[in-house]
Amino acid sequence: MSQTVEIPSTEETGEIATGKLSIVMFSGTADKFIPLGVLAQAAAAMEMQVNIFVTGFALLGFTKRPHDLPFPAEFVGMAAALAQGMKASHVAPWDAMLRQAKEMGAKVYACSMMAGVLGLGKEDFNDLVDDVVGAATFLQRAEHGQTLFI
Amino acid sequence: MGANETMRTIVDSRGSSCPGPITDLAIAYRRAKVGDEIELWATDPGVKPDVRAWAAKTGNEIVSVEDQPDKIVVVRVVKR
Repeated sequence: MSQTVEIPSTEETGEIATGKLSIVMFSGTADKFIPLGVLAQAAAAMEMQVNIFVTGFALLGFTKRPHDLPFPAEFVGMAAALAQGMKASHVAPWDAMLRQAKEMGAKVYACSMMAGVLGLGKEDFNDLVDDVVGAATFLQRAEHGQTLFI
Repeated sequence: MGANETMRTIVDSRGSSCPGPITDLAIAYRRAKVGDEIELWATDPGVKPDVRAWAAKTGNEIVSVEDQPDKIVVVRVVKR
């Protein structure tokens, strides 16, 4: 018996069906936020649907009360040179890249469980966060696409 | 200008690093009408393969890619 999988058309979903990128943003160190911004912005520019699930210490990068994101110990000595190089190459800060991605449709979800563990409520997150959801919601949104873990 | 005439837009992304140029192109593309031409100026070393990847992913065709003496890559895209 043959099976048919129905994929909703572009007209039905209102989305341009050129793929989907989902990112689990787990790491809470400053260096890891750079690829988050770059890949989210690039994927959104490629007309891909972008979902970001923020969990672990990465949540501290999305709070209204700003936290200084640390550098991993082995790269601390290079942090200043990296910042200088990024400025010289006109690389936008990660949150500006993410904001740009969001303007093109990217969505950011905070993990409800880790938010609770860290004592953060919905009102503690800044405007980059679209919603606080559980793992099941993210997995459902990420289905049939590529998923990265950072 | 008549309603059916197409437009040509120049997007100057010189000095901007990846993913800046491709984002500037995508934004201009969204604003453009079918048939409009977009010309992207960029200096990021990854721009040529990136623009080809963008075109393949979004179903567009690159009209031309030109290297200019001052290390500027000019890419022309016509909105489909």
